[in-house]
Amino acid sequence: MGTVQVNGLQMRFGDFLALPDISVSVDEGEFVTLLGPSGCGKTTLLKLISGFLKPTAGTIHIAGKEVTHVPPETRDTAMCFQSYALFPHLSVRENLEFGLRQKRIAAAERDQRLDRVAEQLKLGPQLEKLPNQLSGGQQQRVALGRALIMRPTVILFDEPLSNLDAKLRDTVRMEIRRIQKDYNLTAIYVTHDQSEALALSDRVMIMNGGRIEQIASPEELYWSPRTSFVADFIGGANVLDAEVIGGKGEDHWVLSTPLGELVAASGTEPKSKKIKICWRPEVVQPDGNGPNRIETQISERSFQGSFTDLFFTAAEQTFRVQLPEPTVRSGENLAFSIRPQDIVMLESMQ
Amino acid sequence: MTRELINRFLIYLLIAVCTLWLIIPFTMAVLWSLVDPAEPWTADKLMPPVVSFYRWHNMWVNSSLKEALLNSYTLAPSAAILTLLLAIPTSFALGRISFPGREVAKVIALLPLVVPPFVTAIFFTSLLFSLGLHAWRFGAILFAHSVLFLPYAIRIMTVSFEQVRQDHIDAARDLSASTIARWRVAYLPALKPGILASLLIVFIQSIEEFAIAFIVGSPNFVTIPTLLFGSLGQDFVRPNAAVLSLILVVPNVILMLFLEKLLRSANPSMSSGKGMA
Repeated sequence: MGTVQVNGLQMRFGDFLALPDISVSVDEGEFVTLLGPSGCGKTTLLKLISGFLKPTAGTIHIAGKEVTHVPPETRDTAMCFQSYALFPHLSVRENLEFGLRQKRIAAAERDQRLDRVAEQLKLGPQLEKLPNQLSGGQQQRVALGRALIMRPTVILFDEPLSNLDAKLRDTVRMEIRRIQKDYNLTAIYVTHDQSEALALSDRVMIMNGGRIEQIASPEELYWSPRTSFVADFIGGANVLDAEVIGGKGEDHWVLSTPLGELVAASGTEPKSKKIKICWRPEVVQPDGNGPNRIETQISERSFQGSFTDLFFTAAEQTFRVQLPEPTVRSGENLAFSIRPQDIVMLESMQ
Repeated sequence: MTRELINRFLIYLLIAVCTLWLIIPFTMAVLWSLVDPAEPWTADKLMPPVVSFYRWHNMWVNSSLKEALLNSYTLAPSAAILTLLLAIPTSFALGRISFPGREVAKVIALLPLVVPPFVTAIFFTSLLFSLGLHAWRFGAILFAHSVLFLPYAIRIMTVSFEQVRQDHIDAARDLSASTIARWRVAYLPALKPGILASLLIVFIQSIEEFAIAFIVGSPNFVTIPTLLFGSLGQDFVRPNAAVLSLILVVPNVILMLFLEKLLRSANPSMSSGKGMA
């Protein structure tokens, strides 16, 4: 049983079923990210785990104890809020100490924990300041420190970096990961930013419409998405319809697609005759001599730095190809091939 | 350059007009209160011919001024506190609980303010008499003031409650705060300016209220306004009225300045994160 164990969790707001049935387990010391578009239920799930919402069905266990109906004030979780939610009239020190004072932790231990957190988050010089005298990044660290100092079984993050600028976001992101590892914290992190999720997590849970699309390591999600939603949401794969027209040796499947006949060999079996498949824009082989050769006219070219996006249209669908330093201009023809192992077979078509 | 000059000139002009606006009536009141009965201040003289504190002394010794001051300054703070206490539950509901018809309820709460005060006073006092509350005059006026000035307090406190940030309440809960600790850390700082403003407004309204205090209180229970209006009546003596009006207005001005300072130190928009500009 995991440190956080969610079983058959259902959340209904009036007529709206936000989460139909969620079961997930998070192990000790694991960093799990809930990722999905807005309204997918990830924040609802976080609020259920933190105790701010009561589920309409199902159970939540934290460290082996059932906490489904335990209020947040007595639940052993600590939350890092998106808005930081620092108390504006209290100094950084008072903000950090607040939770320990509520729990009546002895002064000696309180000071010791405060020193440790202040040192780790480099907040020493800021302790006597008020939150509005700090920069966004410093406020973010105080919010993190205020949660860390509680030494919770689980630390919960609600899009903690969304108010920081891009450059700061990267540094704070690495800091969160480092501290999580140092303390061996179990962390559940909500975000809608896929690069954040991929960079931070041990496992990412992709949610859509209140359902779990896939829970897997970032690498597995990227290279072996199970549904077209995941394929498209993570890194924007080219998703297309396909019909299985035959097998070819072991694990090789011949597919009829809008791009012509393609051979797939990604180690899975097709779920039915009509399925969806995907391939990543960057997997194309520029020589165009291999299997799955495609020759097409490039309609658009967009330089992105280390690579260039090339777009083409086939069967009223736009596809994207990424190549480093391509010579082809828009309007010109490009030939490329896709290795069979790079074509991933997804769910059956409805 | 010229534009800047014009701006500066206009600002100085505005300050000058405002100052005169305040200073002239005050000066007139002060001067009138100092007129000695030995020689009247007639229209042909710019300044009072003989100046003394006779009127002040006389009013202090011979009128019911002391009693009126005592009454008014016990009544007004009591009414302020009672009104605030009565307003808080309603304001909490209007400001923090969402229910159908909330916006309508907010408007309805303000409606009593559109009725002319004297009309309300007449009918409200008849209500007090039929309730038998008039036997305890202080209590009756206190009750009436609290009810009448409730809309102000409700309106101010509703806005204050709306400004309490849910994430602060959630953060406090998440950090194991008890109900009381939650109120102290998340609600109170945001409510403080509203509490002070409601107290002050009800205080000033109560100290200046005439109609109810007169109908219920007179002749046994004097407040400063009933005394003031009394001396504006049949035996109108302008210097005496000047003394009374100064006594009525000066504490209010001092309170106003005091509150302005308090409000500045408790800035509700001072915060962090998403809410910050």
